[in-house]
Amino acid sequence: MSEYISDVIGGSKSLLVGLSITAREFFKPVVTEQYPWVVPEMTERFRGHIELIRDEKTGKPKCIVCGMCMRSCPSGCISLAGKKPEGEKKKALTKYHLDFTTCSLCGTCIESCNFGAIQFSNEYNLASTRKEDYIFDLLKRLEEQG
Amino acid sequence: MDTNIWRPILYLIGFMAFAGINAAYLGWCERKGAGRIQRRTGPMEVGFQGLLQPLADGLKLMSKQLLVPDGVDSILFRVAPILAMIPALTSMAVIPFAGNVQARAVELSVLLIFALASIGMMAVLLGGWASGNKYSLISAARSVSQNLAYEIPMLVTVITIVMLTGSMNLEEIAAAQQGGFWNWNIFPVASHSLAQAIIMPVSFIIFFICSVAETNRAPFDMAEAESELIAGHMTEYGSMGFGLFMMGEYLNMVVGACLITILFLGGWDGPLGLSGGIWWFLVKIYLLLFTVIWVRWTYPRTQIYKLLNLSWKILIPFSLVNLLLTAAFIKVF
Amino acid sequence: MQSAICQSAAGMSFFSAQGFVGLIFLVTIGLIIAGAFVATTSTRLVRCISGLAVCFTGVAGAYYFLLAPFVAMMQMLIYVGAVSILIAFAIMMATPEEGDTPGKKITRFSGPLGFAVSAMAFAALSLLAATTDWQVFAREGSGDMHHIGMVLLTSHSMVFELVSIVLLVAIMGALVIARRGRD
Repeated sequence: MSEYISDVIGGSKSLLVGLSITAREFFKPVVTEQYPWVVPEMTERFRGHIELIRDEKTGKPKCIVCGMCMRSCPSGCISLAGKKPEGEKKKALTKYHLDFTTCSLCGTCIESCNFGAIQFSNEYNLASTRKEDYIFDLLKRLEEQG
Repeated sequence: MDTNIWRPILYLIGFMAFAGINAAYLGWCERKGAGRIQRRTGPMEVGFQGLLQPLADGLKLMSKQLLVPDGVDSILFRVAPILAMIPALTSMAVIPFAGNVQARAVELSVLLIFALASIGMMAVLLGGWASGNKYSLISAARSVSQNLAYEIPMLVTVITIVMLTGSMNLEEIAAAQQGGFWNWNIFPVASHSLAQAIIMPVSFIIFFICSVAETNRAPFDMAEAESELIAGHMTEYGSMGFGLFMMGEYLNMVVGACLITILFLGGWDGPLGLSGGIWWFLVKIYLLLFTVIWVRWTYPRTQIYKLLNLSWKILIPFSLVNLLLTAAFIKVF
Repeated sequence: MQSAICQSAAGMSFFSAQGFVGLIFLVTIGLIIAGAFVATTSTRLVRCISGLAVCFTGVAGAYYFLLAPFVAMMQMLIYVGAVSILIAFAIMMATPEEGDTPGKKITRFSGPLGFAVSAMAFAALSLLAATTDWQVFAREGSGDMHHIGMVLLTSHSMVFELVSIVLLVAIMGALVIARRGRD
């Protein structure tokens, strides 16, 4: 009998605890993001596709066209080219294409770059129905970023 | 009788509108409430804050084909959803929303509502059987055993109230509780006695649990346990057949809330002796409905055996003791 | 309300309030007959039960017309809400027995015998109805709960006691059946 009564009281108590938890949750702020209307900021360490880094002094890419990233890429998805402009010592980048369809975002290219010229971007709005949309011209992208 | 015939008819039209709006927007409240409790937003896209979502859902249900699968009992299959809707709608005719806002004053309105509620049970039973589907049949059997179990403590608790008031007329029961919450049947310290006031909250909780169980709401929704029975008796229904079942469920919730308000919470009476009116009635029923939604999104579904044990081992003994004590207190004080 | 029915029968307009009441009365009687017909003729048990429930609903309506609202409500609550559903429940729980079962044989005498029995019952009932001196008794009490309670516990307490004995026997029987083999 005493077990029965303690069962009833204990049960009622646990039910009240449950109700109080949900009541508290009810008044907490909503965590849902209304995605297409409110575009969230990606966190700093998000691994999007790679992008070129601009040299702040010259305004040109830091890349010196050594080709280390192209050689280190296990999927061979980076292709780049460069030539020496008239009267300059260093090569300048003329083409930097990333084939994102085969990229696995491993980051080996970034590690192999001795000049800190590439990094992961924050880009995530990448949905498309055409394969060609995933061949990124990173040089053009850098220029467009202004 | 001659001119009064129009009164119920006009009220019926009003109730149908009230019922439709409630059924639609309680669904919206339910989704919003569930969202807030889980820290989501609920429907947001159709209209401001998703306010037009029920309209879109209704249009979608109405524009779908009323499919009658092979192998079902064709007549009973069509009758069941109608049976789910009618009792709830009819019960509203005798509910006094305020002093003289009532479609038809019936002397035995308490009994009438319970008599009609028992037809609702028939709807689940027939729907489950006529579908010719194992899951639906299990659902029907579960729901009947559950409803039979929970009807007993509910009726015993109602007898307690009827003994306190000496009437089975909902309007008289509500009228007897006017003048502040200390007269309400949930805590009738002024209108009856302190001893009575101590046991009545227990009656209120029993009645609330039973009405949640009778309307097949979570955590008592054994009849439509999605994870085990798909949707129980509603599995084979599409379009408005399903829609009528859903509307019936929400309307039953509304009727249950009205009944609790009248039996325990003083009907249209304002708390603390404020002047009463239909607005107090609406405030009370929507608070109760919110509680029902809140309960649904708090507790998980239990097993059918535990559910029946709760009724037979706890609610029925407690309600019987309450009945006996009430009878004794009425004699003594 | 009863006078209303008589008036409508005597040629009142069908669209007056009395006519409306008369229509409802006819619907009630129709429910009883249709429900009974379905309950007795259908081959599916669940349809039989539904017919029975419809019939009970009609009977409840008839009680209401007989100025006994409490009995009408109880008819709904007990017979439609509990008895029909319990029968349905029993059928669901029982294993379906297909094929021949002893004591269920249909012989060539079954039809004529059944017809004879029902003809006799019909004749007896119609004779009773035809020979009874139908008179409207003075209305006694209001037929509501209070009045029924007073009558049941004073002048008709014998009925009350008998009903309790019937219920007690029913409970004992249920216990015996339910506990069989369990000791």
